[in-house]
Amino acid sequence: MKYYRIIPFLIFIPVIILQINIVPLLLFNGIYPDLILILLVYYTIQNNQIFGTISGFIFGGLYDLIFGTILGSMMLTKTLSGFLSGYFSSENKRDIYLKALNFSLIIFLIGIIDKIIFGFFSYFELSTRLLLSLFTNSLFGSLYTSVLSFILIILLPNRRLIE
Amino acid sequence: MSKLFVHFWQNFKEYFVFVSLIVLSLYLITLDSSPKIQKLRAVIFGSYASLSSIFTELFDFRNLKSENDNLRKTNAELMLQLSKLRQDILLITELKNSLALKDTFKYSLISSRIVSRQVNNHQESFILDCGKKDGVEIGMPVISDKGLVGIVFSVSNNFSLIRTLRNSDLSLTIKSERTGEQGILKWKENNLRIINVPKTYQIKKGDRIVVSEISSIVPIVFPVGVAYSIENIEKGIFNEIIVHPFIDFDKLKYVFVVPVVASKEIKDLELNFLKNLR
Repeated sequence: MKYYRIIPFLIFIPVIILQINIVPLLLFNGIYPDLILILLVYYTIQNNQIFGTISGFIFGGLYDLIFGTILGSMMLTKTLSGFLSGYFSSENKRDIYLKALNFSLIIFLIGIIDKIIFGFFSYFELSTRLLLSLFTNSLFGSLYTSVLSFILIILLPNRRLIE
Repeated sequence: MSKLFVHFWQNFKEYFVFVSLIVLSLYLITLDSSPKIQKLRAVIFGSYASLSSIFTELFDFRNLKSENDNLRKTNAELMLQLSKLRQDILLITELKNSLALKDTFKYSLISSRIVSRQVNNHQESFILDCGKKDGVEIGMPVISDKGLVGIVFSVSNNFSLIRTLRNSDLSLTIKSERTGEQGILKWKENNLRIINVPKTYQIKKGDRIVVSEISSIVPIVFPVGVAYSIENIEKGIFNEIIVHPFIDFDKLKYVFVVPVVASKEIKDLELNFLKNLR
């Protein structure tokens, strides 16, 4: 049994509490960082694509159940994010992907897709302005998450790669 | 056959898992309103809220001083208002008696604290520290001293999950207090909007918007906000009116649940979101 694979799920609870209690303090013009995405991408790079896909599914499902968003919406979004993050989990490139700048760039790219997909489940009436708003929220939201992930990855002591 | 399957699994297992989970997610979207999912939701968010409430108290601690100051000020203002209201009540009672009207608005409010809030541009929801044991039921309106906050969406024994007005899944029948014209209020594009407003409507900037008596979701006329601007004037056959809510949702900490659910008769006749939740 590889116990280290349980760690992200144990960390998920404090992270979601931080997301609820701390993130509102970081709210800027309705744009907020997504700590759950940072956790998901980090542990997917550390493990592999299947691990990321399943973790995303579980994280998203718990989020939907806790916060009353449409069950399956965040689940689908985070499953996709976990799957895409898996493309950066190549064993011989992990240390490169976990460098601060690279990691924040990965978060930025996956964050855009994550927020656009989730936005579609939040809005059922599509219009040009809506798409513009969706794009703006996705772009700036993922940029904010990306900047935060840059700081977090620098502060993270002794990033240990899993064999 | 099995060899073929094993071969495919070994080469494409990531895609199998991904597609299976995506299909499962899409299937769960269709089950969102089923009673079983509602029960599961109540258990999960109830457990989370128990844990989160401890931390919320910690984070709220630093705001106590400023909150105390604000409460003192509000208290003084309320005392002045109370004095005026007492005089008004005497006058209203006298008028009602003369018209032989019966006062039917007697509700004992359930006071509650927000233990958790979801930050989301489209689907804002709060978790309150009151639940079934306090008499809270799905569909009850939630208010603050300034007006309507939202609707109870799910209930566990000790906690309730509410959808606020800033949730795109909540549509509400409202009216202009001045003109009496009705409309549908919705959270759209980061604003509260009255949608599909006929161009002949007379609602203008500054009009007070309240819940309509014909609403099948909220049975009492609560204040909602003020009309701020009219959009889509040049194009299309309908206008949209942006409404500024009376409530500052970001600073809200304490709310009241009104222990009343929209009339069952109306509910049976009309299609609203409560039908699937009961």
